[in-house]
This record gives sequence, structure tokens and C-alpha cells, in this order.
Amino acid sequence: MARPVIGTFLTNANLSMKEFFLTMQEFFLFSVRAFITIPKIKRYWRDFLDQAKIAGTDSLPIVLVSSISIGALLAVEVGNLLEDFGAKTMLGRSTALSVIRELGPLIMGLMLSARYGSRNGAELGAMKISEQIDALRAFGTDPIAKLVMPRLTAALIVFIPLTAIADFAGLYSAALLAEHYHKIDPGIFWNAVFPRLVFKDFVVGFLKAPVFAIIITLVSCFNGFIAQGGTAGVGRSTIKGIVVSSGLILVANFYVSKLVLENM
Amino acid sequence: MIELQDVTLQYGNREILDGISLTIEDNKIKAILGPSGVGKSTILKLILGLIKPNCGRIFIDGTDITSLKESQLYPIRRKMGIVFQGNALFDSMTISENMGFFLRENLKLSEEETELRVQEQIAFAGLEGYEDALPENLSGGMKKRVAIGRALIFNPNMILFDEPTAGLDPVSSKKILGLISSLRHKNNLGAVIVTHIIDDVFQVADSVAVLYKGKIIFDGETESLHDSTHPFIQSILSDKILEQ
Repeated sequence: MARPVIGTFLTNANLSMKEFFLTMQEFFLFSVRAFITIPKIKRYWRDFLDQAKIAGTDSLPIVLVSSISIGALLAVEVGNLLEDFGAKTMLGRSTALSVIRELGPLIMGLMLSARYGSRNGAELGAMKISEQIDALRAFGTDPIAKLVMPRLTAALIVFIPLTAIADFAGLYSAALLAEHYHKIDPGIFWNAVFPRLVFKDFVVGFLKAPVFAIIITLVSCFNGFIAQGGTAGVGRSTIKGIVVSSGLILVANFYVSKLVLENM
Repeated sequence: MIELQDVTLQYGNREILDGISLTIEDNKIKAILGPSGVGKSTILKLILGLIKPNCGRIFIDGTDITSLKESQLYPIRRKMGIVFQGNALFDSMTISENMGFFLRENLKLSEEETELRVQEQIAFAGLEGYEDALPENLSGGMKKRVAIGRALIFNPNMILFDEPTAGLDPVSSKKILGLISSLRHKNNLGAVIVTHIIDDVFQVADSVAVLYKGKIIFDGETESLHDSTHPFIQSILSDKILEQ
């Protein structure tokens, strides 16, 4: 009795592994095609501008809200901790490092995964199930060049200024909290921020923006492209896109920091 | 001319098409009749190279498209227009933008010429005044006419219709069938019509192929369908609308 059960289990595991590797292969080819079509950007200039607005300007509110909250929270919590050691004046330094290297880009990446990634997954998934992607192909248009490449290039370009805005908003909110909550003079706070930040700190933070842009766009668009099973299928593919890209962002955040800090 | 030779298609373990062979001549209307879910729409996607068969060959004007890359398929696809079952109109674009999509994407025409051809198709489809409307604001019959206009705008040799009257009221169905008939007379176009409605076949098709359980069980002149003794064909002739 046990043998057929084990046999079925192994067969299912084998099929799942095969499906996983086929999907990975498909994702790899999809990603390569998205990069290869970047030279066609001039042809899809309007699509690029639309996507730049969606990923950039329209994402500003959520990026600002999340970075201001994180900056304020860090100022309060780290300030309390430093006060115990009589090192409150170090608040600017510790907040700046946390925001610029880690939390600024990370929170921005997760927020954009939820906002921009979910939009991509749902929009392309709906296009897939209503045969609009097939229609593009039938009318001689490469759907990856038309739909994915403008999203990818827009994210690659606008995520960098968004990171800068997120960093600044986070630090500024931390400075305000430091002044009004911990009674630290703004001059002392900012003096602990800028002179001590080195080039490496900015590289760590700003290198994450394009990495996250690639992860969010390609994962969400790919999941939209392979959506099937009606509206429920669009929901499933959108969720999968957000979950996978968020997980990859957390992993990539660690490795980018590790690689840059160890090698610079 | 379109020719399918021993085409087999499987999704996983499920066999959709089992070695079908079919010839579709230019300037003729060929219907592919069969119950829902039998793989009729799949044949249209195979003809356009949107999916590849597991085995068999598909020739479009003598070119075997089964071994072509996606970029090599684009010139082949430009010979054929398609009207999808759900119309597949680009829902973020207006009717005018939908109609002119192919021209703007693939032909280097001036904006004036593009606009002129769009207006011609809008007039042909009887949709004057709806140029700036979005597809969501149109009725089912109007959407179908936009889809037909979009497929015709680049003057293809052949037009593929996937269930052109499915889900339409009798008046809209009649209009669409009239539009399809007029295409051949005015534009000398060939067409492939995939349908499960036998009345549509008798109204517009010159010949018909009946697809049943992955096989072609009849392929001949529309009128000779009555002579078939196949039990399934006998049953559909009496029931008129096919259900699995």
C-alpha cells in the first residue's frame, strides 16, 4: 500500500520540479527579450512616458508616506536607545545610515512592489485573458516590446529619483522628530548626518533602486503574461507577482548591501 | 491558401486536435463547425502561428509556418486579419485608436492617410460618431463591428472569425453575417469562420469542415452537409445549435 503512495508522491514531485524549471526557463527568456527590446524605446516613447508617470509621479504619495513614517519611527526608537547611553547626538548618524543604506530603498521597493507590481500584474493579466496580448501578436506587434519594455525602462529610470526623495523625506522627518521629541538641535542632527556619510553608503542605497526595478517589473509582468483561468486567474497571478517580487526584494536587499560593503 | 497537414495538438495529456488536415482556398468562405471546447478557436491560433502544433505542418501560401520564429511570422500574419471571439479590443484605446492600431504600429503612413483609412472603416462598420468612445461604452454588436473594421484596415487576403455571432442578439447577428457576406463581394476576401451555430454556416459559408472529438469528420461543400450520414452531423442538423 505504501509503495503506490510513495510512487504517486515522487511522480507529483517530479512533475512539480519539471514545471518549476520550465517556468524559470520561460521567465529567463522573457527577461532577456525585455532587455533586448530596449533599443525600440523611441518607437514606444508614449508608452514609456505613461509608465514613467505611473511608476514615478503617481507613486510619490505612497513613497512619501512610508518613508516619512519610517524616518519618524527610527528617530523615536533609536533616540530612546541612544539616550540610555548618553549618545543622543549620534541620532543623525545612525538614522542616516539606516535610511540611506537600508530602510529607505527597502520600504520604497516593497511599496512599489505592492503598487506598481500589482498594477502591472492585474493589467497584463486582464489583457492576457481577454486575448488582447494575442491580438497584439496577431497584428504584428511584439507584446514584450510594447507592454514590458516601457515598464522596465520607466522603472529603471524613475526608481532612482524616488529613492532620493524617499531618503530625503525619511531623514527630514527624523530631523523633525529629533528636534521636537528628543530636543536635539537640527544643526547637531544634520552635522552628524552629512560629514560622516561616505560614497559607499550612497552606492549601497542607490544600487538597490535599479535592482528592485528589474525584480518588480519583470516578475509582475511575467505573471500577468502567464495568467489563465478567468478573473480568478488574474487575481492569482497578481498575488503571485507581489509575493514573489517582495520576497526577492528582501533577499536582494541583503545581498546588494553585503556585496557592496564587502567590496568597496 | 491555407493548408493544415496532419496537425496534432496536445495540452498536457489532453489531445485537442488529432491529426487534422484542412485546405482553405483564397476568396472562399470556409466554416469550421463543432461543439464548444472542441478546439475550433485553436485552429485559428495555429493558422496565425500564435501557438505551435505538437506535430504536423501548416502552410500559408506555400510557406511552412511551424518552423518560423516569432519575428518571421509577422509578415505572414499581415496577410490575415482576425476577429477574436471576445473581440479583444484594446480597452485603454478609443474606437478610432483601435481601428488605426495596425497602421500606426506597422505601416509608415502619414497621420492624415491613417486617419482617412480609419474613417473609411468606421463608416463601413456604421460607427460614425463613436470615434472617441471607449470599447466599454459600446454594445456587443458594435464591438464586433469595431473588431471587424480593425481586422480589415490593412487589406488582408483572408479574415479569420472566431464565433462571430456568439452572444449577439438576432438583429446584431444578422448584421454581422451580412457584413461578412459583403466582404467577399466587395473586397474579394477569403474567410474562415469558426462557429457552433449551424445556421451561420448555411448563410455565409461556401464549404464547411466539421470538427468532432479532435478529428475532421466532414469536409466539403456546405450544401452537401445534408448528404452526410454521420450520426453526429445528423444530430446537429436537427438541433441546429451545438452543445458538447
